[in-house]
Amino acid sequence: MNAIPQRCWEEVADGEDLAGFSLELTRTRMALQVSGTQDFYPIHHDTAFARGAGHEDIFINTGFIRACLCRVLTDWIGAEGFVRRLAFQMRTPNLVGETITARGRVTQKGPEGRVELEVWIENAGKGVTAPGSATVTLPSRR
Amino acid sequence: MAYDVKAVKREWEGHETELQWGRYPVEHEPIRRHCHMIDDANPLFIEAGRCPPVMVDFFASRGPWPAGEFDILGLIRRIPTPGDRLINLNQEFEWFLPVRVGDRLGVRHKVVSIHQRATRLDPLSVWIRTETTIVNIREDMVARRSNQILIHRTPEEIATGVSRS
Repeated sequence: MNAIPQRCWEEVADGEDLAGFSLELTRTRMALQVSGTQDFYPIHHDTAFARGAGHEDIFINTGFIRACLCRVLTDWIGAEGFVRRLAFQMRTPNLVGETITARGRVTQKGPEGRVELEVWIENAGKGVTAPGSATVTLPSRR
Repeated sequence: MAYDVKAVKREWEGHETELQWGRYPVEHEPIRRHCHMIDDANPLFIEAGRCPPVMVDFFASRGPWPAGEFDILGLIRRIPTPGDRLINLNQEFEWFLPVRVGDRLGVRHKVVSIHQRATRLDPLSVWIRTETTIVNIREDMVARRSNQILIHRTPEEIATGVSRS
């Protein structure tokens, strides 16, 4: 197994940005969404169904959004960190054909390895579509 | 007959499902599919058998096939509402214990609150808040999740004044 960098609580600074990542929501990505979440509700893969429900087109589901937000955290905390909480809102649909970026930022270092963060999904054409917050714990260097 | 949200609240608020165990234990293959979906190459998940935190409810559910209770959908579908199109508006997860391949997980769902409030999609939109508890084989709480679900009618149903309940 490849070695994973381990971040320690002492290394964290308020306002620190976490490395984010971008995904283009191609038709193939939408198929991966259904495979990965096993969410077969047609609003996420059937354009006619989505439009019939009053939406512009198919859009990514809750499972996909939270997976992206959680990956921002798990990419950062290393093997000894633990994700304690993740909360998010889905304010605007992220449609097929659009590009999203998942990001995070430290908002506050707490006691006992605790770190509070904001996490969010940005859409290239719409701004922040899914704002959220999270709590993780990190090991101490000592 | 007009939709009677007070009667629905009386019948369903506080309703809790019995503990139900996931159909299968935590497995490598669904984790690999989940990681593939978002280009996640984290070896802790795709090699070492750790369960991504946001997958615990997936493994605690019966899955979409064979047909059965899939997460909160079965519960939501039993609550009378004017429409049957649903959107998850927000979600909050708290985790208490790590989960690995081979673990067995179970789940309980609870209807916390039901309200009727107009949205841009439907003047008869219904808002349902649920709470989900996920436990391991010792029935220790692994995670807790809450959802805010919006149920609405289609534009066609709104135009024709159709209400299912």
